[in-house]
Amino acid sequence: MYKLQLKYNEITKINELSNMVIRTTDGACIPFDPQNVDYQAYLAWVAEGGVPLPADEVTV
Amino acid sequence: MAYGQVNADVIGTSVQGYSLGAGNSSLLKNKIINGACVIDQRNAGASVTPTDGAYTLDRYKVRVSQASKLTVQQNAGSVTPPVGFTNYIGITSSSAYSVTSTDYFVLVQDIEGFNTADLMFGSASAKTITLSFQVYSSLTGTFSGALRNSAFNRSYVFSYSIPVANTWTTISVTIAGDTTGTWLGATNGIGLDVSFNLGCGSTYSTTAGSWQASNYTAATGATSIVGTNGATFYITGVQLEVGSSATGFEYRQYQQELALCQRYYQTGQYAGAVRNSAGSVLLGGAVTPLGINMRTTPTAVLANQTGDVNGTANTLTSTYVQWAAASGGANNAVVFSYTLSSEL
Repeated sequence: MYKLQLKYNEITKINELSNMVIRTTDGACIPFDPQNVDYQAYLAWVAEGGVPLPADEVTV
Repeated sequence: MAYGQVNADVIGTSVQGYSLGAGNSSLLKNKIINGACVIDQRNAGASVTPTDGAYTLDRYKVRVSQASKLTVQQNAGSVTPPVGFTNYIGITSSSAYSVTSTDYFVLVQDIEGFNTADLMFGSASAKTITLSFQVYSSLTGTFSGALRNSAFNRSYVFSYSIPVANTWTTISVTIAGDTTGTWLGATNGIGLDVSFNLGCGSTYSTTAGSWQASNYTAATGATSIVGTNGATFYITGVQLEVGSSATGFEYRQYQQELALCQRYYQTGQYAGAVRNSAGSVLLGGAVTPLGINMRTTPTAVLANQTGDVNGTANTLTSTYVQWAAASGGANNAVVFSYTLSSEL
């Protein structure tokens, strides 16, 4: 299972989706890099119908 | 000339165009990383029951189609390593499992394309290579392994014999390079997949000794380690080099070998302070430059969080990592350990 992650943008002062996803089993931060094997596994999981959990809300 | 003295500035080799001494260097001839099985960053010598694709000792992963059929441990069983070595990968079967046609159990090292491009596989200039290693098993008979390309549609299965149980046996296998098929050149993808069979079904088994346009990892009828409860398979001194004969194992200094491993996996610790109270905000100066550039953007796993708030990764790159607070908090400290993985 995976979960999206928010990232605070210091310029816009808002939280936005980061360019990584969290693997919930071990908390791994997986970058959206096509050469990263964990990201490849995430894409395969999505291709099989997996839907990542929404990102946690962050109060600024 | 005194006995044993060689008076030459160039020593020819079995490979046309390659020589030693004044010619091409023999340094870093071994394309296998951690061939002496010294580096074990993940488990530090502890036994693990790996899941499919999990890395064990550095650069070595296992592919298993069934869970919990084997364990892997550096120096498992504490047997005396072969002369010249102090470490080995120890694999122990956890049950007597009869493989089905689609089962696979293999120990794998994927070699990066940047390090195999000179082999010229996939061209008429493909070079002959030699794979050598020391192996020890509680079983005897014919064992096997394979070389494959990144797409797993080119395979060369080799076989070898272990005639005496519980005795280190030196194995050398020479393989003519593949002149066809698609092989990754100088890229950070998989240039060459080297695997040792621990038990594979008929789908992945074939006759050894030739290149084939399919995904094979074992010789038909080869001994299955996972088929015998408690069976052991130990290996070290793994070397893959250009040429038609095995030369002496290339001993690299510890830091050299560790640095080679750290291109794919590294660990560290971070301790820093939150710059302001915004949630998920960047930490002031929370950048960890990576002393060894990684193969690609790594996956980060944080653990042992003992600060005021938890940390998380904010920016991941192959050259540096920037950390952040996972939640808001003014002037709070984050303290954690981390692993970065960019394995193939």
